[in-house]
Amino acid sequence: MLRRASLRYLLRHPWQFGLSILGVALGVAVVVAIDLANASAQRAFTLSAESLSGPSTHQISAAGGLPESVYQALRLQLAARTSTPIIEGRAAAINLQGRSFQILGIDPLANPGAYPYLAQAQDRRAEGDTDFAAFFTRPNTGLLLQATAERLGLRAGDAMAVRIEGKLHTITIVGLLQPRDELSRQGLDNVIVTDIATAQELLNMAGRLSRIDLVIPVDQAGAALLERIKAVLPAGAQVLSANTRAQALEQMTQAFRLNLTALSLLALLIGMFLIYNSMTFSVIQRHSLIGMLRAIGVTRREIARLILSEALVVALIGTGIGIVLGILLGQSLLHLVARTINDLYFTVTVRELILSPYSLTKGMLLGIGATLVAALWPVREAVTVVPHNLLSRSAGEQRFTRRIPRAALSGAALIMLSAALLLIPTNNLLLSFAALFGIMAGFALLVPAVVWVLIHLLQRLSGNTLGWLGKMSSRAITASLSRNGVAIAALAIAISATVGVGIMIESLRNTVVQWLEQSLRADIYVSPADTEGVQQPTLDPALVGRMASLSDVKMMSIGSRTTIDTPQGSTALFAVQVPYQGFQGFQLKEGETQTAWRLFAQQAAVIISEPYAYHHNLHVGDTLTLPTARGPHTFPIAGVFYDYGSSQGIVIVQRSTYQQFWDDEKIGSLGIYLQPGSDINKVIDQLHQLAGSEPLQIRSNRMLREASITIFDRTFAITQVLRALTIFIAFVGILGSLMALQLERAKELAVLRAIGLTPRQLWGLVGAETGLMGLIAGVLALPLGLALALILILVVNRRSFGWTMQITIDPAMLINAIAFALIAALLAGIYPSFKMARTSPALALREE
Amino acid sequence: MQHLLKWGMLILFALALVALSVYLSNPSGTTSRQTGIKLSDVLGDINIEGYTRAFEPREFSFPADHGLHPGYKHEWWYFTGNLATPQGRHFGFQLTFFRIALAPHSKARDSAWATNQIYMAHFTLTDVENKKFYNVERFSRAGLGLADATAQPFKVWLEDWSAAGQGAQTFPLHLRAANNDIAIDLHLDALKPVVLQGDKGLSQKSGEPGNASYYYSLTRLGTTGTVRVGEKTFPVSGLSWMDREWSTSALSKEQAGWDWFSLQLSDGRDVMFYRLRRKDGQPDPHSAGALVAPDGTKKSLSLQGVQIASAGEWRSPHSGIRYPVRWRLRIPSEKLDLQITPYLADQELNVSVRYWEGAVRIEGTTDGKPIKGDGYVEMTGYN
Repeated sequence: MLRRASLRYLLRHPWQFGLSILGVALGVAVVVAIDLANASAQRAFTLSAESLSGPSTHQISAAGGLPESVYQALRLQLAARTSTPIIEGRAAAINLQGRSFQILGIDPLANPGAYPYLAQAQDRRAEGDTDFAAFFTRPNTGLLLQATAERLGLRAGDAMAVRIEGKLHTITIVGLLQPRDELSRQGLDNVIVTDIATAQELLNMAGRLSRIDLVIPVDQAGAALLERIKAVLPAGAQVLSANTRAQALEQMTQAFRLNLTALSLLALLIGMFLIYNSMTFSVIQRHSLIGMLRAIGVTRREIARLILSEALVVALIGTGIGIVLGILLGQSLLHLVARTINDLYFTVTVRELILSPYSLTKGMLLGIGATLVAALWPVREAVTVVPHNLLSRSAGEQRFTRRIPRAALSGAALIMLSAALLLIPTNNLLLSFAALFGIMAGFALLVPAVVWVLIHLLQRLSGNTLGWLGKMSSRAITASLSRNGVAIAALAIAISATVGVGIMIESLRNTVVQWLEQSLRADIYVSPADTEGVQQPTLDPALVGRMASLSDVKMMSIGSRTTIDTPQGSTALFAVQVPYQGFQGFQLKEGETQTAWRLFAQQAAVIISEPYAYHHNLHVGDTLTLPTARGPHTFPIAGVFYDYGSSQGIVIVQRSTYQQFWDDEKIGSLGIYLQPGSDINKVIDQLHQLAGSEPLQIRSNRMLREASITIFDRTFAITQVLRALTIFIAFVGILGSLMALQLERAKELAVLRAIGLTPRQLWGLVGAETGLMGLIAGVLALPLGLALALILILVVNRRSFGWTMQITIDPAMLINAIAFALIAALLAGIYPSFKMARTSPALALREE
Repeated sequence: MQHLLKWGMLILFALALVALSVYLSNPSGTTSRQTGIKLSDVLGDINIEGYTRAFEPREFSFPADHGLHPGYKHEWWYFTGNLATPQGRHFGFQLTFFRIALAPHSKARDSAWATNQIYMAHFTLTDVENKKFYNVERFSRAGLGLADATAQPFKVWLEDWSAAGQGAQTFPLHLRAANNDIAIDLHLDALKPVVLQGDKGLSQKSGEPGNASYYYSLTRLGTTGTVRVGEKTFPVSGLSWMDREWSTSALSKEQAGWDWFSLQLSDGRDVMFYRLRRKDGQPDPHSAGALVAPDGTKKSLSLQGVQIASAGEWRSPHSGIRYPVRWRLRIPSEKLDLQITPYLADQELNVSVRYWEGAVRIEGTTDGKPIKGDGYVEMTGYN
């Protein structure tokens, strides 16, 4: 009987039921989508790392490449048979949409077990068996994964034109690789496997290796071998354990992924409020039914079970829909997540969403758990109903009103506790997010009290000026504060989240725009063509010389970027030869520009970016020890500059210092300063002429700035999308919950209609009531939104990325938020008003 | 000149070995695998155009000819020997370096790794007392000094395995090889001069001109040094044998394999004989050998002059292949009647292509008087 009563109730109130399900579904969908996208991106990275490095335990590398004599020593002197020489580089196809490839140079005879991903092109039905003799002996030959070749329409024997380090090459495909397993298939996609000699020649690395992979057993003999290996390494070379390397890369993106997860949990939190809202509402609405049931002998436990099982039905259906939605959503979020990782961290090719059972299970448990948690309070509410069939709802309201102060107190306490958490000096992001959610929850507890105060204040202040409509609508809100308060809190939370994230993104964007204006000092920037994925292309020095001799060119800054492996992970190093004018472009957070310049230019000091300083806890006056070609060297730190180009941070060193320590003459980019009065466009044309067929990007200051901002927007597109999703859920929430409230008031409105309220007045009354609730939610959302923005900017982002941002608050955004709440609320009133105005009061009044 | 079939094997390697190693030796990397490539498939594909071939006898010149002959497709340096500790504990060893050209000519290239030559080496040790046979195979490219051969000073090496002369002298040779469990460190001195096999060093493989190799041996090398098994190192002495051969052409289609004998007798004589087996089970008429007198003079042996019979079979637990294990070899013209018994039945090399090559004990009579000795026997092409 209980189950039937429950079922009938749910069926008779599809709005509430639907809203709860929607709340769960949307929340779960966003969480699942983000989790799947995160997991897929990470898995893609791990796969490519694992499949290419094989089972190696250690890697030997050196800044600027490892002398191949190290490998000779390992093999000839130390008999380190489990060593594998590797050369890696990038190539961009000339045709094939400029697709980028990884060049992987191996010696297949060195340590065959080290290449578990390579498989012989053994299938004799496939055209052209692999010609391994050609692979070995002919320059410019390589192997492609069969799947890659097929996708590109290439066959064994075909040639492909590629550009490597600015030079054109033709690589003949002498065989196709069959992947042995999924790992190989993913890892080898878009990889050109060549003989090591071929790779050295293509990448202009004769005499050098990218790294040597080692398999060293974890025992005494292994440790001894490691020591002997270390003893033969030249200055600048180092052995790192493969674990360290993979971990460092994983840690890099951890903050980013955690941020996305937190944002997705925000969506779930809003979903929880919607569930809470409609469950509470359903309990309050059934007070008399529950009282009756209790009167005929139904126990509290049975009542609790009834409500919980309703919640469970909602949870199951909602979670089921949510997971399906989440998978669909995840497909589209995946490339956004991957793009951000590519822009901010490292290249990772993510092709497909991996439906990790772990993510799905997590989403399921979160959905069901969140629903049940949200239902706890309504359950408590239901079991306290006294077994009396005449218990009125007003009694329930009175009880609720009595509880308001207590809730407000605990809310305030929770907020203070959370704020205290934020003050703990730590880099722990989880703690920050816990505080963030704590503040939101505390705020939600405060809302009913604030609404009560606000409305009473409004009534007191306005006196009679509001007219009957104002009085009735405002009283209606306080009269059923139990449900309206909860709804308003839910709406406020939803809106505040969008406000907070919105302000955070806007602040960061403005900060970056200003930073770009300040730091881009040269008039024209020249860099090798931006072929996707090519990380360190270089410019032809002869060409640079010709450019420097143009009459309009006053001076140049020369830069080159490299990555150095250190025991703490990799460090991006940017070597610049820059005039003082250009150096001023670095806005110092710590240090004084002139002093820093003197140390930088004359005493081989470095300047480090803010995120680098933050992550490594370094300051001006400290020193930084980096592995160089001459062995580890300790550089003084002359300044800490603002930089938003990398979240891992970067170290900048004078070019002459760099050459002295790393023997690297490569030129990565140019900044050209023009004579006063020069015509920028004319010079750009001249530069293009000089470059001839060389694919260069020649951009004016303004073009580069715009391009940078485009990249910024691309990087944060995922955050914007999440924000939009949150807004959508909030909107649906406001619309749904207010509509349900009004529909449930049908009888009350029918009475009003019966005693003479015209349809037009009814429209006004409903509109005023929902509008007022929307307005209150919108207004309340602002302080919380600002607080969230501050936490995101000052705590979360700083701990995640190490960036200092200037806070920008766009009043339009705040007004938009209120307007948005108001519009959603007003829209919510339309259907109930329409329905009630059309229905005859008598019909509506008829007892059920 | 043992190793006719080895030509085929090496040709096979030339194409398949990169394939093989790339084709994923299992992670442990040592056990051999079915390659999935048939010998006949590869032989049919072989392109020997551009390589030098052996058509007629040539003038040998030492020490230059101890070194490389890169125009030929294959070349090897083959060392085998029987050694014993002062207490009489017996060891056999094999250390072989194979050179294989993947292209007839090398091009000048920027990378020191660039090469048209690759090397393969086999190292075995027979521990008679513990009845244990160790065998290891290695590959390397020729580039970057990882593997190569030079005539003056003489050295052939694959990474840390090497055979090297000292200073300008080829002999005494210093042999060094080590792998996890085993190592040898031996000095080999020539007790007899170089013997040119076949027709003044031209060893004809079949009727077709050019299907031949250049082949010489040092049949008796006095050997001293150390052998390591596990943690223990033993001082040893004994006799070793060196074979050198280079060629280009392929194995004839009718030939299935061979049995090769290198025997060092207690009266100072050495015998080399290879019996080619045809697929139809008959011995091939190109089977040949030589008997080297204590003073180094050579007498050629032909199929008619040597009678070989086996008594018993041994079935390899590794491959299931059955090999003959005891031989009776008679050379009536020399009044030699020899019983040849492996020191250990299991001396099968589990490498890219399996074969049996092991230390053997010789007992018999010459002209009715007892004679004994040690040697090595190689058996290929069994199934």
